[in-house]
Amino acid sequence: MKNLIKVERARHNMTQADLADKIGVSRQSINAIEKGKYIPSTLLAIKIAKLFKLSVEDIFFLEEGE
Amino acid sequence: MNLNDIQKCERTKIEKWSRFQLSHKWKTVGIMISLSVFAMLLGLKLMDDRPQWTSEVLKRLLIVGFLIISISKDKEEDEMIASLRAKSYTLAFIFGVLYTLIQPVVDYLVHQYVFSASENNTFSYFQVLWFMLLIQIMFFEVLKRQR
Repeated sequence: MKNLIKVERARHNMTQADLADKIGVSRQSINAIEKGKYIPSTLLAIKIAKLFKLSVEDIFFLEEGE
Repeated sequence: MNLNDIQKCERTKIEKWSRFQLSHKWKTVGIMISLSVFAMLLGLKLMDDRPQWTSEVLKRLLIVGFLIISISKDKEEDEMIASLRAKSYTLAFIFGVLYTLIQPVVDYLVHQYVFSASENNTFSYFQVLWFMLLIQIMFFEVLKRQR
């Protein structure tokens, strides 16, 4: 699963730490999600999408074959 | 109270128990207990005349120390940490079962072919619990560093 969190963060001029603070996780977790090492729960995905005023599908999407 | 209510009640209780964790400061307490007990166990090895009960009590204390470390919250406890912790428990369980199966065979072979003696080695619960808790703590720390 890929995501556009890094792009959206840049658009909103936010650091990983800012985003982590706003959704209540650690900065390392945001880093792992951005790199695709960790797939967030539905709850966390919705929180991220809501923060960027987008739908979950706009930020998270499946790769080919998934 | 019908069957659905009973099931719901049981599920709520299990979920509550499964979420139980000590606060982060307990981790330091657990580390201190484990290290001091480990040092005392090493010290006991050097003593010639040592009462049997001291070693048994210290071994239990070591397991308590490891358990406290294992169930203490991390500094920044979030869902990713919870997921890593769950992975480390899975690995510890699998390695624990494998250890229980393999270790007696290894012990037997070593005593038969290396020491050439038929010493009947007992395989204690302490060895298994100590191994499982150590593996869990180690894997959890490794997984955390690799995130």
